[in-house]
Amino acid sequence: MSGAARGRPVPPRWSPGLAVRLALAAWGVVVVALWWFDTSASSVHGAGPAMTAAGRVSGLLAAYLVLVQLLFMARIPVLERAVGFDRLAAWHRGLGTNVVLLIVVHILLTVWGYGLTTHHQPLSELVTVVTTYPEMWKATVGTLLFVAVGVVSARAVRRRVSYEAWYLLHLTVYLAVLLVYSHQTATGVDFVGHPVNRLLWQGMYLAVAACLVVWRLVLPAVAVARHRMTVERVVHEAPGVVSVWIRGRDLHRLGAVAGQFLLWRFAVRGHLVSAHPYSLSAPPRPDRLRITVRATGDHSRAIAHLRPGTPVVAEGPFGHFTAEHATRGRTLLVGGGSGIGPVRALAEDLLARGDDVVVVHRVSRADDLILWLEFERLAGNGRLIVHRVVGSRHDLGYDPLAARFLVAAVPDVAERDVFVCGPPGMTRAVVQALRGLGLSDKQIHTEEFTLR
Amino acid sequence: MNENAGKPYRARLGFAALMATVALAVGAKTATGPGERPVALAVTPATAGASQQPATTGDPAPAPATAPTSASGDGNSTSASGDAGSSGSNSSGSSSSGPGSAGSPSGSGPSGTATAQTVTGDAVSTRYGSVQVQVVLSGKTITDVVALRLPDRERRDIEINNWAVPILRQEVLDAQSARIDTVSGASYTSYGYAQSVQSALDRAGA
Repeated sequence: MSGAARGRPVPPRWSPGLAVRLALAAWGVVVVALWWFDTSASSVHGAGPAMTAAGRVSGLLAAYLVLVQLLFMARIPVLERAVGFDRLAAWHRGLGTNVVLLIVVHILLTVWGYGLTTHHQPLSELVTVVTTYPEMWKATVGTLLFVAVGVVSARAVRRRVSYEAWYLLHLTVYLAVLLVYSHQTATGVDFVGHPVNRLLWQGMYLAVAACLVVWRLVLPAVAVARHRMTVERVVHEAPGVVSVWIRGRDLHRLGAVAGQFLLWRFAVRGHLVSAHPYSLSAPPRPDRLRITVRATGDHSRAIAHLRPGTPVVAEGPFGHFTAEHATRGRTLLVGGGSGIGPVRALAEDLLARGDDVVVVHRVSRADDLILWLEFERLAGNGRLIVHRVVGSRHDLGYDPLAARFLVAAVPDVAERDVFVCGPPGMTRAVVQALRGLGLSDKQIHTEEFTLR
Repeated sequence: MNENAGKPYRARLGFAALMATVALAVGAKTATGPGERPVALAVTPATAGASQQPATTGDPAPAPATAPTSASGDGNSTSASGDAGSSGSNSSGSSSSGPGSAGSPSGSGPSGTATAQTVTGDAVSTRYGSVQVQVVLSGKTITDVVALRLPDRERRDIEINNWAVPILRQEVLDAQSARIDTVSGASYTSYGYAQSVQSALDRAGA
């Protein structure tokens, strides 16, 4: 978030997120228009040609949406500000399934349409197309990669695949995009012999490629050179939870504020490739940052064994979970599990601003009450109240964060800005409870920064 | 708030919307003009005119032959044909025949009833490439049509040719004229084929 925008932003009626969606839809219309103005109505006559035409339109749309998918992940500052990293990730995930399905539909319709027109069996037509059409073997390999990525990203499979494997497979999408590109301009009816369409299409690809190079390669590389971050020390907070202090130069120029997260890479074998989102668990200082991490996967377990001096690469900051979005002077922060990290940082920021802050620290076991000493210290000035809520819902037999308990603990909850950070299930339940208490969605701030 | 959290139906809706867009686009396109004939872009007159050959009437499926060197297009197609029978010549300057001398049949006289003659039609340039045919006449009877030039820019074109051209040839032989039905899925080729046949027939004075 830019420093200039701090204060009391009034959410506009036309949200920037909606504007982004409309712009993307408008360009989608342009893509369909490529086909429309290039196709005579009579050439769509009959079942076979109509199917082929539908296949072409879905192919054009699929190619466009693949680029949109890349844009969502390109870390473009305008998009990050307008939409937010977490929503972009959610859009990416939601659209991802549809794009893969659309690619499959494109193949089915095109091949089936060809088959109907030429009176071939669809399967033999598929073989003909793949083996004899120019650039089609590349498109086939690319499609298989897309489908593979789609499969490992499906909810059921995702849980069984390690983050690293999932991430590496996702990287092959760049290769897949290159592979399928050539069949579009080599055999695409809308591009063969249509230099203007071709230029437009190539320009679209180049623009996206430029975004990716600038914001995912060049600027991160510049940041590495400028900030030279290294691990300073690793502090064990609780069983399975560590805090990592990171030293660096000019860290204030990152522009990070409390409550935001960065994508971290540690120069340890096997962990430099994949980036992981961790929130700052203390307000950033010009020479130091801190993250607090619970060991849940290979990566977070390895973090406990980081040695001081290990180089660190960070992308970001990202996220709307910041004091800037609290406009009422009174705030309730609900942190569950390791979600207490950003809550801890945000609490300090809000207190420094003079807000009245209530923190609800939700954990399953008392051992998990990390950072409690720091909350004690912050509470010393009297404007912070900390409620510690211990016990799993299963053991308690009820949800201690249900609306009636929330309102009992924080009677003026309806007049507060509420920030919720924790496991998805807890977040959903609390948001539901808050809505039930009459809070508007503008008062409720959540962030789920899972990358997948 | 994670927008899709707890709302998996949203993703399904998105896909339904995408498919609806595709169906709508194709449906609307079909509806804009079901009867419209594809438009030829230009017609190049056959420069070689007709050549005297013994008719090879028994010739099976005409191979999608490469164009003879003489059929390479020249740009001097200026005079419009006055023939009312050429089908669908509604586009600007789509139907024209070459200068009379170049296009006249060099058969053994107009009265020769059983004489075989071969007449080359115009090269009709369509959206996907040129179509040019040679019509073999025995007197006034069309005995064969040989495709000299067909769209071959894409692999797909060749596949269409292989299947559509025999049908078009048979249609011409059955109808004994260029007034033939468009073959579905090969509309441009059909149109170019009919145009080229018509120009050849004009030239032969049939």
